[in-house]
Amino acid sequence: MLPADCSRRLVAELQGALDACAQRQLQLEQSLRVCRRLLQAWEPTGTWAWEPPPEPETNEEDPLPACTPSPQDLKELEFLTQALEKAVRVRRRITKAGERNKAPSLKSRSIVTSPGTTASTPPQSPGQAGGHASDTRPTKGLRQTTVPAKGRPERWLPSVRDRTRAGIGARAPRPGAGLRNQHMAPSAAPQAPEAFTLKEKGHLLRLPAAFRKAASQNSSLWVQLSSMQTSDSMDAAAAKTQFLQNIQTASGGSQPRLSAAEVEAEARRLRKACSLLRLRVREELSAAPMDWMQEYRCLLTLEGLQAMVGQCLQRLQELRAAVAERPPLPCPVGRPPRASPSCGGGAEPTWSPRLLVYSSTQELQTLAALKLQVAVLDQQIHLEKVLLEEEMGVQQRSAALRRTG
Amino acid sequence: MRRRRVDPAAGARAGALPEAIAALSRSLPSGPSPEIFRRAKFDRPEATSALWQLLFRVLSPLPAGNALASIALEVQARLVKSALCSQGYPRLALAQLPEDGSQGSRELLLALSWLLARGPVPEQMLAQTRVPLGDEMTVCQCEALASLGPPAPHMEAEGPVDVRHVQWLMGKLRFRWRQLVSSQQEQCALLSKIHLYTRGCHSDQNLGHLSVTEAEMLRDPEGGQKLLRTLERESRRLEAVLAWRRAEPVFWQWMDTVLGTCTPEAPAAASQPTFLPWVPECGDGELELVVRELQTLEEELREAVERRRVAWEAKARGCGRGPEWSATRRASRETVEKELGALQRCWEQDSGPAPAHGPHRLVRREDGAAGDRDLRAAELIRTLRSQEACLEAVLRQLQGQCRQELARLAGALPGLIWILPPGR
Repeated sequence: MLPADCSRRLVAELQGALDACAQRQLQLEQSLRVCRRLLQAWEPTGTWAWEPPPEPETNEEDPLPACTPSPQDLKELEFLTQALEKAVRVRRRITKAGERNKAPSLKSRSIVTSPGTTASTPPQSPGQAGGHASDTRPTKGLRQTTVPAKGRPERWLPSVRDRTRAGIGARAPRPGAGLRNQHMAPSAAPQAPEAFTLKEKGHLLRLPAAFRKAASQNSSLWVQLSSMQTSDSMDAAAAKTQFLQNIQTASGGSQPRLSAAEVEAEARRLRKACSLLRLRVREELSAAPMDWMQEYRCLLTLEGLQAMVGQCLQRLQELRAAVAERPPLPCPVGRPPRASPSCGGGAEPTWSPRLLVYSSTQELQTLAALKLQVAVLDQQIHLEKVLLEEEMGVQQRSAALRRTG
Repeated sequence: MRRRRVDPAAGARAGALPEAIAALSRSLPSGPSPEIFRRAKFDRPEATSALWQLLFRVLSPLPAGNALASIALEVQARLVKSALCSQGYPRLALAQLPEDGSQGSRELLLALSWLLARGPVPEQMLAQTRVPLGDEMTVCQCEALASLGPPAPHMEAEGPVDVRHVQWLMGKLRFRWRQLVSSQQEQCALLSKIHLYTRGCHSDQNLGHLSVTEAEMLRDPEGGQKLLRTLERESRRLEAVLAWRRAEPVFWQWMDTVLGTCTPEAPAAASQPTFLPWVPECGDGELELVVRELQTLEEELREAVERRRVAWEAKARGCGRGPEWSATRRASRETVEKELGALQRCWEQDSGPAPAHGPHRLVRREDGAAGDRDLRAAELIRTLRSQEACLEAVLRQLQGQCRQELARLAGALPGLIWILPPGR
C-alpha cells in the first residue's frame, strides 16, 4: 500500500474529480428540466407572442413596437370603431325604453364589460395613450363580446409599460391584417387557451419587439467592441507600453518576473515538444534506410533531434529554477479552473458571438459525446499523473532513506 | 494638501479626464466613483478599501457572487497581493502595504493601471458575465470538467488509506462519467427538437430558430422581463467600455503624472517577500515528468547516434569523393534542417489555426452551411476525434509508466502491497 500521505493526495484528487462531475451533472439536469418543460404543453397565459401566419413585409418592419400602426391598419380600425359605435347606437335605441342612464361612449362600454381594463390602462404614458388606447380598446371590446373573459382577464389586456407581453402589443397593428382576412371575426388568435405545444405551433412564435431591439443593439455593440479591439488606437497602445516601462524602471524589481501564466504556457510548449520529439525519434529509429543517402539523412535527423532535446532540457531546467523561487503552497480560497492540457489556450478572444452549425440531432450528440470523452480522458490523465508523481516521490524518499540509513 | 491647478493649456483635456475616468468606472463591475480615483492619486486613505475590492473583483478567477462579497477585506487584500505577484507585478511597495485598508491607495491605483495596460480588463470582465442569448457550447475544453477549488480536505489526517476506498472512489467516478454521457445525450436530443420546432421564428435570418433561452422567455414573460433588463444593463456597460476606449489616451497621461509623484523604489534586497501564489498549477511534479522523459530520450539518442555515425563514417570512406558527393550531402543537410525547423515550429507557436476560444451559439441548419467565421460541427468532430486518439495514446503511455514505477517500487520496498493503478 502506498504510504498514507500520497494516497491521501490521490483520494483528494479523486474527490475533486467527483465534485466536478457532480457539478456538471447538476447543470445538465437543470438544463434538462427547462427543455422538458418547453416541450410540454405551455400554460396558457395568453401573453406570448402568438401571431397569425405572418405576412413578410409586416415582419421586417415594426421599428417602433405597437404604437404606430400603419395607416392601412388605422383605417381599418377606424372602420371598426365606426361600426362599433353604430352598434352601440342601435343597442341604445333598443334599450332606451328600459334604461335612462346609458353609457353612451364606447369607452365606458369597454370599462363596464371589462373591469380589468381600468386597472391596467391608467398608467399610460401620455404620448402613447391616445394612439394605443384607441387602437386596442375597440379590439378589446370586440374580443370581450365574443370571448368569455377567461381566468385572468388582466393578462389579456395590454399594459403599455409591459413590452414583453408583446403578443398583444405587437398585435395592435395586426388586427388590421387579421380583419383583412376575416371580416369581423377575430383572427386565428387563441380564443380558448388551448394547449400550446412547441411541436405543433412553435414555428408561429415571434420574439417580442422590445427584446429584438435590445438584442440587436447589444450585438451591434459587441461587434463595435471587436472592431475597436483589433484596431487599437496607436496613441493608447503606445501610452500603455510607455507606462508599463515606466513602472518597471520606477520599481524595485530587478527584472520582469515570469508570470505564472507564462510559466505554464512555456511548460505546455515543452510538454508538446517532448511528445513530438519522442514520436519523431521512434519514426527515425524504426525506419529502415534503403540507400546511403537515406541513411545519411536519417543520421542527420537523429543528430538534429538530439540537439533539440538538449535545448528543451536546458529550458526546462531554467523554468524549474524560476518556479522554485516561488514557494508552491496551495491557496486557501478558490483556484482558477484547471486549464485542460488539450486546450490550445490563450487564443485571441473575440468578443462578437460566433456560430456553431450542426445539421442533425445525431451530429450534435456525437459532438457533445466527443467533447465529454476528451474531458474525461483529461481527468484520467491527470489522475494517472498524480499517481505517477506520488510513486516517484515514494521512490525518492525511500532511496533517500536507504542512503542515510 | 492643495489640489494642483489644472493648467489652462490643458483646459481642453480637463473635461476629458473626468469623463475618461467616469467611463472606466462605469465599465467595471461595481466600479468605484471617479472621486475615489482622484483621491487615490493623492494617496488618501479613504480610497484604499474600495480599490482593494475592485482589484479583488478584477483578479478573482471566480465569477462574482455572494461568496465573494462575504470575504473579509484582509483576505481580499492578501489574495490580491499574491495574484499580482504571480502575474509578475514589479512594484515591491504593494507587497508591503497593510492589509487593513488604512493606506496605500496610490499604490493600488498604480496596480490597477498596470493591469489595465497589460490586457483588456473591462472587456474580459464583461465577457465573463455575458448574457447568453443562444444555446452555447464551448469549443475549447477549458472548463469542461474543471475542478472547483483545491482538493478539499474531506478527510482529516486519518490513518493509512485503504486501497479499497480508492477503488471505490474510482468506480464511483466511472459511474458519474456514464451518467453524464446519458444526460448529455438526452439534452442534445431535446435541444435539437426545440431548434427544429421553432425554425423560421427568429427575426435574425442568420439564426433561423429560437434558442432555449428565447423560447423560455416567451413561455415565461416574467423571466423574459428579467432577461431584457439584464440585456439592457449589459448594453449600457458596453457603451461605457467603448467610451473608455475612446478616451483612454487622456487617462494614461494622467497616470504618468501619478507615477511621477511616487518616489522611485530602491532595488530589491536579497530576500523576496514570499507569497502564496494564486496559481499553483504548474506543479514541480509535472515538470519533473517531462524532464525525466527528455532525459531518457537523450540517452537513447546518444547511443543510436554514436552507433550510426560510426557505421556511416565507415561506409562513407568506402564510397568515392567528388563534387556531386558534397552537393548531395549539402542538399540532404538542408532538407533535414527544414524538416526539423518545421517540427520545432509545431510547438513554438501555440497551435496556429486554433479553434476559437470561448462559447459558440448552436444553430441548426439542414444543410449545415456556415459562414467563414463560424464553425461546422462536422469539422469540430474530426478535430475532437484526433484529440481523443492523441489523449488515449498519452493515457496508455502514462499507464504503462505507472506500472513500471510500481514494479520498481515493489522491488525496492519489500513488503509493499501492490495497488491497482486507476483508470483501467
